[in-house]
Amino acid sequence: MNLTRYQRQMIFSGLGEAGQRRLLASSVAIIGCGATGTVLANHLARAGVGRLRLVDRDYIELNNLQRQLLYDEADLAAGLPKAVAAARRLRAINSEIAIEEVVADFNPGNALDLLGGVDLALDGTDNFETRYLLNDACLRLGLPWVYTGVVASYGMTATLIPEGAAARVGREATGCLQCLLGDRPASGGPTCDTAGVLGPVVSVLASISAGEAIKLLTGGGEINRGLIHVDLWDNSFETFQLAGRRPDCPACVRGEERFLNAALGSRSAVLCGRNAVQVSAPDVRIDLAVVGERLAALGQVSRNPHLLRAQIDAYEITLFPDGRAIIKGVDDPDLARSLYARYVGS
Amino acid sequence: MSTIYIPTPLRRLTIGQSKVTLEGESVGAILTALDAAYPGIGERLFDEQGQVKPFINVFVNEDDMRTLQGLDTPVHPSDRISIVPAMAGGGQ
Repeated sequence: MNLTRYQRQMIFSGLGEAGQRRLLASSVAIIGCGATGTVLANHLARAGVGRLRLVDRDYIELNNLQRQLLYDEADLAAGLPKAVAAARRLRAINSEIAIEEVVADFNPGNALDLLGGVDLALDGTDNFETRYLLNDACLRLGLPWVYTGVVASYGMTATLIPEGAAARVGREATGCLQCLLGDRPASGGPTCDTAGVLGPVVSVLASISAGEAIKLLTGGGEINRGLIHVDLWDNSFETFQLAGRRPDCPACVRGEERFLNAALGSRSAVLCGRNAVQVSAPDVRIDLAVVGERLAALGQVSRNPHLLRAQIDAYEITLFPDGRAIIKGVDDPDLARSLYARYVGS
Repeated sequence: MSTIYIPTPLRRLTIGQSKVTLEGESVGAILTALDAAYPGIGERLFDEQGQVKPFINVFVNEDDMRTLQGLDTPVHPSDRISIVPAMAGGGQ
């Protein structure tokens, strides 16, 4: 393989050609392709991580373009899911690596599969429920991962190494997400939908996390064993030391896997701050063409190979081939499920 | 007087201030003084049992207070207390 494109990072003595070859031989899953995920994916694709798996459940909206660096107006006009648009852009940037896009909700039913065969997971999610699930899955699989959270003008990143990954990556184990944040996902805190977010803050934090990924994959450098906290509005840059493993941690000490074992079924989840609800239907395949023809009598329908969008009354229904729908114009899960049953099927 | 770093979501309660200085001999005393000076902060920091909520980390200088003596950790006037809540966003 011609390594010319990586020349500038290979002459950095910390990486070298050996580090570059390790990157090319490695595989990373990025869960969530919003602002954080696109910055992570952009760095790792350009750096030559050999295999990238991009997982995202959502499609591109106009208000994403302010900070989600891999998307443009043409992607928005085409109504593309984020994972599809990100993969397409990254292939144009680096055609020599393998990029796999997965348009799906990362959930207890698919978490272990979606992380199968990778060396490292990166958190580009926007909520704690999904992060706690990622934490359980990484503990089970012995995968190191990097948490990144950003809101408004500030954010934090922590590098988490389960006991089961420590020997393989040659680093001492750390506490897990539940050691850091407690047993239940925090709720009611500010989110990007309610408190906004500045693009540069995401780039700073996600770039730090991408640097952590490169160190973990190549075995070089010193990883972040604390909690890095940055606020660009008052120029504060701090690294706090963490308590490490909590002796009674239900996740990494007792191995309860509460989030991995959570019931999966017909589910709905309110998408915070968006006046939208996601309705999931396990084990169905939907023929978008057939549903599209039916719904065309009721409202305006558009469709691409990845999703179907129907505007019916005050609701915008986006339906994916796996039966999942994001229904906009509603924040009541029961109403969303009944709309789903009426227009898609039960 | 010790300096307390106030995270952005709580600054509404400190009239926009990102740092406040207060007197107290322990982390608990300082956080109680903070609530007295800026009512409403306490209920954002403490659960019903009077413990700091799990997703809020409190650091004395660079160290998690849980690795020290928790709310009983002694505080010197030159110490810096940082209140750091976990962050959800990924900018999706």
